[in-house]
Amino acid sequence: MSQPELSEEDLLQRAGRGDSRAFDQLYDRMAPRLFGLLRQMLHDEREAEDVLQDGFVLLWERAATFDSERSKAFTWAVMLFRHRAIDRMRMLGRRNRLVDSAILEQTTLMASAHAGVDDEVQANERGVVVREALNELPKDQRQLIEFAFLKGLTHHVIAESLSMPLGTVKTNIRRGLLRLRDLLKGGA
Amino acid sequence: MMEQERFEELAAMNALGMLENDEKRALDGAVARDKELRSLTLELEQTTAELAYLIEPVEPPANMKKRIRAKMRANGLKGAGVSRGVVIGVTGWALAACFAVASVWLWREQAGLTQQLAAASRAIAPVNPTTPVVDDGKTRTLEEELKKRRDEFEAQKLALVKEIESLHKSEADVKTQNAKLTAEVAALKQQEQESKLQVATLQSKVWEYRRSEMLVVWDEKRSQGVVMLDKMPKVDSDKDYQLWVVDPNKPDPVSAGVVTVDAKGSVKASFKPVDAVTGEAKFALSVEKKGGVPKSEGQLLMVGP
Repeated sequence: MSQPELSEEDLLQRAGRGDSRAFDQLYDRMAPRLFGLLRQMLHDEREAEDVLQDGFVLLWERAATFDSERSKAFTWAVMLFRHRAIDRMRMLGRRNRLVDSAILEQTTLMASAHAGVDDEVQANERGVVVREALNELPKDQRQLIEFAFLKGLTHHVIAESLSMPLGTVKTNIRRGLLRLRDLLKGGA
Repeated sequence: MMEQERFEELAAMNALGMLENDEKRALDGAVARDKELRSLTLELEQTTAELAYLIEPVEPPANMKKRIRAKMRANGLKGAGVSRGVVIGVTGWALAACFAVASVWLWREQAGLTQQLAAASRAIAPVNPTTPVVDDGKTRTLEEELKKRRDEFEAQKLALVKEIESLHKSEADVKTQNAKLTAEVAALKQQEQESKLQVATLQSKVWEYRRSEMLVVWDEKRSQGVVMLDKMPKVDSDKDYQLWVVDPNKPDPVSAGVVTVDAKGSVKASFKPVDAVTGEAKFALSVEKKGGVPKSEGQLLMVGP
């Protein structure tokens, strides 16, 4: 008899209670996307692997603190892994400089780079919703948010890298993210 | 800017990991006091995290799960090194071993009974022999399972050995680095103890030297120093500038040697007086005969401090 597939929230809660099989399943579901994120942030395969490894150890340690009423398991994990990646960047002294020469237009999420192409996103309902919401934002705000999300740099460095006034960076980030929050909540 | 907008801005940048340390502290302090801001901060963090749904998935290395487990064990995490999975694994080994023994015993029993039955059957009539195909099949599956578990265990063991080797190497590197840093700190402390620096600027009341600059850095403990001169007038070809250290415990200034300036009237040179200086030193500069003199004969042009 086949068992109904457990949600990521269920798996994370089970992992929090010490269920290593649930942890394994959670890894299988989340690791590819998290690894993709870390590679983009760190620009280094080895560093991304190390952070993925450390991140999952931390996830196991902290799974018991997960509250499914406050967040989704995936976003909870993304926050944990991004913080870890930013810590690593800080340790490597990469927070205060742009490692690669990627410019704003090249640093985009699949929302614009691969829209309508990737089956993975098509299959992911939430991905479609997020992509649509992101595309609702003015171009400047969208690009800045994507750049900041993928680079993990401080606002000073972002302003400098993009030759943009610091105030403009801050304002666009604030307005864009508040709007994105409203759109993802289903607001107009 | 209104206070609310400022904190919204901080919360938004925090969600994207853009804040500097001091800004992060300011936000954390405000979040601790303001429930609404706390809620906004969390909402924006979650909004940001949702962007990861758009990330193109990339398969991690095949051994990553083993690396994670090895790290958990290395960290001594409860439920990891001896995680439920592993406990089940160990229990599984024991159960599998018992099952294997029982299967073999049952198979032998059955084979014996079958032989007896076959003999009895042959005695009465030809019959279809009972074959142990099912049992053979079970035994084979079990062996495969045991082999698989053993292979996994070996792979984990190998990963652990490698990790331990790597940790040993890291530890050795850190020890070397630590020893090096300790030595450097000791050397710096020693240097600090051995030196007592004094910086003195010298001025002149002589009209031609009104724009000249002279700086002396004097290490009292080592009784040596560095002199820097700038905008010094040119001296006659049969003359030289000579530096003197005025020791309050000595009747005459002690020569610190001849100082030759370049075409711009500048020089930076280290010096050491010919005699030990025991008191709080002052410095002077004079123009003397070429090559210098043991006792000052010319006018002291610059004196200080």
